Amino acid sequence: MSSTRDRILAAARANQPAETPLPPVADFGGNASLERFTEVLASIGGTVVRLAAPGALAATVQQLFPAARLVASPLFSASLAIDQQTPVDVLADVDLAVLPVEFGVAENGAVWLPEANMLHRALPTVTQHLAFVLDHRQLVATMHQAYARLPNGPGGYGMFVAGPSKTADIEQSLVIGAHGARSLVVLVY
Amino acid sequence: MSYLTHASRAEAFNLDHERTSWHDETLWFVRQKRDKAVYAVPEFQELRSLASAIKEHTLSRLDHYLAQFEAAALANGVQVHWAADAAEHNAIVLDIVRKRGATKVVKSKSMLTEECHLNPYLISHGIDVIDTDLGERIIQLRDEPPSHLVLPAIHLKKEDVGDTFHQHLGTEKGLTDPQQLTEAARQHLRAKFLAGEVALTGVNFAIAETGSVVVCTNEGNADLGVSLAPVHVASMGIEKLIPRLADLGVFTRLLARSATGQPVTTYTSHYTQPAEGREMHVIIVDNGRTQQLGRPDFRASLKCIRCGACMNTCPVYRRSGGHSYDFTVPGPIGSILSPNIDLKKHSTLPFASTLCGSCTDVCPVKIDIHVQLYKWRQIIAEANHLPAAKKWGMKFMGRLLASPNAFKISGKLARTGLRLLPHGLTHNQTANAWAIARELPEPPKQSFREWYQQQAPA
Repeated sequence: MSSTRDRILAAARANQPAETPLPPVADFGGNASLERFTEVLASIGGTVVRLAAPGALAATVQQLFPAARLVASPLFSASLAIDQQTPVDVLADVDLAVLPVEFGVAENGAVWLPEANMLHRALPTVTQHLAFVLDHRQLVATMHQAYARLPNGPGGYGMFVAGPSKTADIEQSLVIGAHGARSLVVLVY
Repeated sequence: MSYLTHASRAEAFNLDHERTSWHDETLWFVRQKRDKAVYAVPEFQELRSLASAIKEHTLSRLDHYLAQFEAAALANGVQVHWAADAAEHNAIVLDIVRKRGATKVVKSKSMLTEECHLNPYLISHGIDVIDTDLGERIIQLRDEPPSHLVLPAIHLKKEDVGDTFHQHLGTEKGLTDPQQLTEAARQHLRAKFLAGEVALTGVNFAIAETGSVVVCTNEGNADLGVSLAPVHVASMGIEKLIPRLADLGVFTRLLARSATGQPVTTYTSHYTQPAEGREMHVIIVDNGRTQQLGRPDFRASLKCIRCGACMNTCPVYRRSGGHSYDFTVPGPIGSILSPNIDLKKHSTLPFASTLCGSCTDVCPVKIDIHVQLYKWRQIIAEANHLPAAKKWGMKFMGRLLASPNAFKISGKLARTGLRLLPHGLTHNQTANAWAIARELPEPPKQSFREWYQQQAPA
């Protein structure tokens, strides 16, 4: 008796049409400016803040999030050490995560956050507030250019994050802070 | 066995005029947001053509890409399962949950698991399954199916949600503020996420070359569930495949713009390998899809990326509500998918359309939805599933319109009859459903043919 796998593959083979070509995907160019990125991110509920100097990160974070008690970050000596083994109950109390991102996408305000930058896979969504740190030279115009930046694939886990968590499931009223971060700031240096 | 028709279900929805108007206007507003986002992308039409061609190519080599995806996923340490139908899918999920000795399952939005009726199955086996998307949670608490692909609770008003949360989450009676209701759900669901033992997700895209599955959400519920629970189970239909990672450049630009007018979903998450010491499973489901692939007129329906744009634009969907379709996927796309599953049960759905073609115009992967609706109508007629009045009416009209003489005589009779017969007879709503909400125009004194014959030759 053949397996379900073999039966599905055989049915696909028997029923699929004659092969059609796979088109190449062009790069449509576009605007990769920080102005565009800033404008789009603002339209989806996020904020861009320019860092005066790379060394000003800790002080800027302190200034922007004075109430954040438990802060996790690989970029400066934060108040909470998080790694892949951190238990759920500790993660649950994180107020703020400050994480480096690889690049931003100007057309939609998204940034690429690979697993290596997360400390723990749950940190970017379990934290109450989120700050990303982005090099202003690392901006692309579109998602085509974004995926071209990942020649070795997306890694074990990776995400594009565009703004804070949101929902409009109740009468189409936009509410920021559904399950993930309640606010999102991109600190640009 | 007889089934309720789309029209009779729509009639029930229409009893509340105010809500019907609200539903209509709200979804049209979403359509307008879609337009604004689409017009801001100069190459949008090229992207639609690309997306369509990529999906068509994938379907034409589906066996190859399924095998490629499986091999890549296995190499990534992902456990791959195959399910021919809903029963097999559900049994696989239960087996994974039981092997972990788990009872607490958190689920992010997945139309496939709705299609398979996974929740009632798991609950009947003692598993506590919680929908974590806000809209999905609302309708789960109310024991209702979703009424839209991406806005599952769009049939409800904030007062309904307030009542439901008061009853189930203990919020204050009469609370209707969406911000406060969402906060209550956030607190309630946080506890569920933190306790989750198995996380279930759907799949928006599966990448053959990398073996990754991609899930798009705005709330972050998929990521929160998956990254906290020890086990991730992702359920995907075979049509979710795309060949290359680069193809996501096309689809992520189309999906959210078409769905809600956002430039992209908040989270576009790529799951390729389980975290160390954790499990990731992918269940590849057929459930009628290879059969649809074998129907040349209808296989293009498998290109669908579930954006919901065809619903938001459909004049019938907007005024009849998602529940009137009585199928997991409502609206125009559901009306071309459902007859493949059960032609008789869903025989009225392809008629729930004006064939205006607006669905086809907005479809980001260029499915010829209204053409397929028309083709299903012919198949339904041939299979003798038309109601008697429509069947004989069509036969009669077919004869009449084929004969110039009969057309001439009946035109004359109709023009005279409409003038002389009482309104209650010409617009009898029992015999003539067309007249329920419509008035015939004033009959002209003569036909075009009569007028033409009176004109002097040039």
